[in-house]
Parts: sequence; structure tokens; C-alpha cells
Amino acid sequence: MVEFRIDRHSGVATYVQIVQQTKQALRLGLLQPGDRLPTAREVVEATAINPNTVLKAYRELEREGLVEARRGLGTFVRRSLGAAPADSPLRAELEEWAAKAVDAGLDRDDVAALFTAVLDKHFQGEGS
Amino acid sequence: MSDTALEATGLGKRFGRRGGWALRDAAFRLPAGRVCALVGPNGAGKSTLLALAAGLLPPTEGRLTVLGGTPAGARARVGFVAQDKPLYPQLTVAETLRMGADLNPERWDAATAEQVVAGGDLDPRSRIRSLSGGQRTRVALALALGKRPELLLLDEPMADLDPLARHELMGTLMAEAAQYGTTIVMSSHVVAELEDSCDHLLLAGSGRIRLAGEIDDLLAAHLRVSGAAESTDLSAHTVVESRVTGRQLTALIRPAGPLPGDLRTSVPSLEELVLAHLRNPGAPALSAAPAVTQGSAA
Amino acid sequence: MTAVTTPAAVRRPHLTRWVLRLHRPELVAWAGLVLLGAALLLWLGGPLTDAAADGWRQYNACDWSDKCSYDQDAILRYKDAYNYLTLPLAALPLLVGAWAGAALTGRELESGTAQLAWAQGVTPARWLATRLALPAVAVTAGTSLLVFLHHRAWSAARGRIGTAKSWWDPWTFHTNGPSTVALALAALAVGALAGLTLRRALPALAVSLVATAGVWGLAQWLMPHLWPAVTRVTGLKHGYDGLYSGITVDQGLVTRTGEHIPEPVCSAHTTEECLRMFEKRNAVGFFHTYHPYAHYGPLQLTTSALALALAGLFTVAAFLVLRRLTGALRPGKGATA
Repeated sequence: MVEFRIDRHSGVATYVQIVQQTKQALRLGLLQPGDRLPTAREVVEATAINPNTVLKAYRELEREGLVEARRGLGTFVRRSLGAAPADSPLRAELEEWAAKAVDAGLDRDDVAALFTAVLDKHFQGEGS
Repeated sequence: MSDTALEATGLGKRFGRRGGWALRDAAFRLPAGRVCALVGPNGAGKSTLLALAAGLLPPTEGRLTVLGGTPAGARARVGFVAQDKPLYPQLTVAETLRMGADLNPERWDAATAEQVVAGGDLDPRSRIRSLSGGQRTRVALALALGKRPELLLLDEPMADLDPLARHELMGTLMAEAAQYGTTIVMSSHVVAELEDSCDHLLLAGSGRIRLAGEIDDLLAAHLRVSGAAESTDLSAHTVVESRVTGRQLTALIRPAGPLPGDLRTSVPSLEELVLAHLRNPGAPALSAAPAVTQGSAA
Repeated sequence: MTAVTTPAAVRRPHLTRWVLRLHRPELVAWAGLVLLGAALLLWLGGPLTDAAADGWRQYNACDWSDKCSYDQDAILRYKDAYNYLTLPLAALPLLVGAWAGAALTGRELESGTAQLAWAQGVTPARWLATRLALPAVAVTAGTSLLVFLHHRAWSAARGRIGTAKSWWDPWTFHTNGPSTVALALAALAVGALAGLTLRRALPALAVSLVATAGVWGLAQWLMPHLWPAVTRVTGLKHGYDGLYSGITVDQGLVTRTGEHIPEPVCSAHTTEECLRMFEKRNAVGFFHTYHPYAHYGPLQLTTSALALALAGLFTVAAFLVLRRLTGALRPGKGATA
């Protein structure tokens, strides 16, 4: 079971935070196919956010085919997200690149800014 | 059941024959199942509107439909917590809840009421007069929630609560809304307090309803724009607020068509939207949810 | 969401139990007061009256002889006790009624607990009805008992004690019969009306006390005219008939033509001179219009009816004020505009 943590000051819409945190849990294997997501009641009781926000996030996840709502039972995970395994070649390349960045004298913030800019360029319209 | 929790047309309330209008020309529709923030500065008419909806005051003019009927007829299905959280001081907490059960024999939900009280570490045997403001709020909310209302009207419900209790009770309210589809209207003069919990907004200012509608729709209907003061012409749009700093013009507008390409635009936050409307009483009111008149209002 | 149950299965809210619970201290105090009053009235009508009557018998037996002793203390004790019991009995039910009416409605509106009740499953009309009916029952029961015991004590002294109050003494008149109960109910309704109008307990209490005094004064002023009085005509030599035996409505001279005129002021030193002066004004006799003791019952009943009618009027007014305050009193009645 996941527990959503809503950050009011992140500037990210609340339902997007729920979508992101669910995907994160899928990537990390915290949620497996067949698992039940917390009910809207459970989420709002803990977070004090609007129930319709939770339902909107769940609809979004359902639209992406990640979960399915079963009438009267709850919302269940359909498939997991292809996580980037720790030993994938992509990760090795990123490690290599990060080492170069350190050598070049970039600090953490510089790297993060650079990384975000590139992400923004390549993943336009995926909403964050 | 009606799909409309509250519907007002030309609603007005004046206290005394010569008194000022506490509320005037209010027209809005609140669909059932919404959690509505009733926001506005002190004296804007929030409490008056809630008391009208609770069937505790008769309107001076206009019409207010509550759950598809008259406010008085809907009283049994409406929960109301007044701003000063009145309770009988001589009763104990347990007696107050028993009274709620006795006075609402058809709908009383003892488990919910007791759960709300239990969350506050309250001794059921303590007298109401010995409670703190926050504890009284808790008992008043328990009384209103125990009634299992279809429409819950809360006047400044969170004012006396510490942040922890505020979060917990807001969670309880949201859970109620999630499970039973309860329509909730809560007033506050602090927008931020309600932003995450509400999906609908009624903005009151100087006795008028300035904004009414789904929060998402209201935000989508407005834009924050900034550009060069000299070359920017916004006359085609509804300008809620505009300010010139040096050569820079920033404005909150309701776009009525395409905007000049050299303007930088962003979606305003709810707080920006509310403050801009309160600072500019001359800006036209907006009701984003059209007041659908439905046949069941008889 | 749950469907609303059909009217056939309607369970009514138990409002009565809670009004009793909320005002338990006041009810206990009233019950205590009534019991104390009852005990004192039994004492007055029994031992005190007997002792004073003995004193009066001794006194009458003395026949102005020099050496005579009688129990003067017993006579004075009776007189004090009678006065100190009659006056509160005449006033207290009215005060209690006004207080109950004003405090129960005014305080609830002031603190917002009235709205709390209306926001529960209680209509404003039922709320007010209960808040009037329960004190009405309490005041009626307690006052009726006290009035009955007072009448009993007063009757026990009649003809046995020289200083016993006459039936027409204003305080005695009311405390001997149901008019005190009716006036207390009028005070209760006045209090409720003031409470609803002013919506604050203390001003409502002050206003209702003044208004209650007004109601009492009005009832006392109208009382002699609520039943036809008898008129006795007597010759000039005979003097007035029935004076100091009942409630005088009018008195004066009868002229040769049968006209009733007020008795002229006579500053002469002797009765003879005055009578001669009256004769000069064509007077042939005296008339005295009054209520004899036989009228006590009818006067009590008509005065009570008057007070009850006022109570009814004030109650209707209270409900009208409540309707203006809250809109429709019952669901389904009255429009929203």
C-alpha cells in the first residue's frame, strides 16, 4: 500500500503529485500488479485533500492503463512500470557523464539544472 | 435527489428595515457532492449566506433552493456549525452527543460522532463549559457530522483549531465527502486554508458574490499576463486588475480572445485570483457554473 | 446516499427530555420553593391560626377589664407570617413565569443554542412550543398547590381572627384563587415574547418584569368591571350600605330624580350639617355599587380568563416573531421569498 505525501508548496498540482507518487511506487516495485490502491476515503482522511482530486488522479492512471477500477472493490494495479534496472547500460552512461561533470567542477545544483533542462526538452508535454 | 445542493437567484438579506444589506443579488449554483470554499473578508456576508442556507434566517428578497426544496424543508438533511460553535455549557460531551442522537432519531450516526470526539483526547464526562475553543469546535463538528447530513454548512470551522487538529478534522470531513457524497460548504477568510480541500469556490465581497464556480474553471478563465506597458492593449479583454511598474505591465485578465504574442502569460494561483478580485471591487462578477434552473425546485 | 425514510416511520425527536435536562437546576429550585411554601402555608393555616384565634378569644373575653392578659405574640406572629407569605405568593409565580419565558428564549438566542437546536431535527415551532409548555406545566402545578393551601389557610382564620385580611384585599384576592396561576402564565408568555424580540436574556428579563407588572395592574384595574356589581340604595339617615364588606365600584348620592352624583366634599363638623347640605342638593339617599363576597368566585374566574386571554395573545405574538426571525416555522410551509 502506498501513502501519498502532498506538498502544498511544490507548485505541482495535487492530482499530478498523486500520479507521480503512484508511478514512483510502481517503478520501485512498492506496488505490484493486483495490489489495491488506497480508497479515496483513505487518501483524503490522511491528507485532507479534496476527494475529487484523488479520483481525478486515479482516472488519469486508469487512462494510462496502469490501474483499473473494479466496481465496489477499489482501484487495482494492472501492470508495473518498466523501471530502469540498476545495471542497465543507460545507467552506466549516466554514471560516466556525472563523473565528468564533477571533474568539470559542476556542483549538484548545476548538474540538476542541466539535467532538468534536457529532460524538459526531450519530454515535452508529459506534464510534471 | 436533486443534483443541486444550493441555488440562489437574486438572493438578498437586510437586517432591520433600515439596516444595510448583508448580502445582495447573490446568484449561484452549487452542484451536489462538491466541497465548496466560501471565501471573503470579515463582514462580506459569508455567515449570512450560511444562515440563510441553514434555514435559520428568512431571505429579504430573492430565492434560495436547498437540496431541491425550501431551506426550512431541508433543515433535517442539513448540518450547520455556526461561527461561535454554540453548545449547551451545562451538558457533558457525552450528553451533548446523546442529545444529538435524540434530536435526530432518523439519521444519527453515533460511530462517526464518537470518532470525531475521540480524536481530540476529550473526556466524555467533561462539561462543555470547561472545554477550550478547539475542543468545542470538535464537539460541534461531531454533532453536525453525526446527523449524517447531505449538506454540511460550516462557518469558520477551523479558526479555533491547532494545525494538527485542523489537518485531522479536515481529513475527517473529506472522508465524509468521499464516502457519502456529502456536499460541504465551509467559510474562511483565509484562502490557503481551504485550497487543497475544496473544488468549488464562492467568493464574497461587500455583500456580493464575486466569483462562483469550480476552482479549476475559474482558474482556467483567468490569466496573469505581463508585457511592455506602452505596447500592450488589453481593452478587448476583461481586466480584473492591472499594475504598471516602470515599463512593465502586469495584469490579471479574463481573456476574451487571442492575446498578442509578445505577452508572457501564466495561470494564476487561487490566492492571486481571490486577492485580485477583493482588491478591485469594480471588477465584474463571474459565475463559472451557469445557474441551471432545474424542474425539481418546487 | 441514504434515502429519506417515509413519513409513516417518522420517529419524533425527544425534545422534552432535553429541555428538562437542560433546566434541571431551575426545576429543582422551583420544586424546592413550592415545597417550602406549602410547608409554611400549612403551618400558617394550622398551628399559627389556632394560636392567634386563641389569643383573640382571650382578648374578646377581657371585655375591657384592666387586668387582662392575652397572647398578643401569637396574634402578631400570625399577622407577620400571613403578610410575609401572601405577598411573595402573589408576586413570585409572576416573577418565575417572566424569568422562565425571558431567560429560556432570550438566553438561547443570545448564545446561539437556539440555532443549534433548530439545526438539529427540531423545528423552531416545536422548540418554542416545548419551551413554553414545560414551564407552563411547572408553574401551573406549583402555583395551583400554593394557591389552594393559601385559600385553606385564609379560610381557617375567617371569623376567628380580628386582623385577618378581608377577601378583597388585593394580594389576598389573587393568592386565594386561580388568577395568580393565570397571571403567571401570562407572565411566561410575556417573557417569551420579550426574549424572542430582544434576543438577549437580561434586557428581556427587565422588559418582561415591567410588562408583567403592567399585566397585573391591568387585571387588577379591570377586575371589578368583569362581573356586574350590585347597587344598594339607602336613605340619608341610614348611611351607606355594605361599605367595607367588598370591592367598591362606585358610591355617592341619589337625587330626587334618581340621578347618581358623587358625594360633595363636606367640611362641616357634624354629620347633621353635612346631611342638610346634601339635602339642599336634592339628595334623598346614598348609593353604593360594590361586589359582595358572593361575587368572589365569578370575579376570580373572569379575571383568570382575562389573564389567560392575554397569555394566549402574547403566545401568538411570540410565534409570529419567531416566524419573522426564522422564516417558515414548519417544513413545507411558507415560501422562500
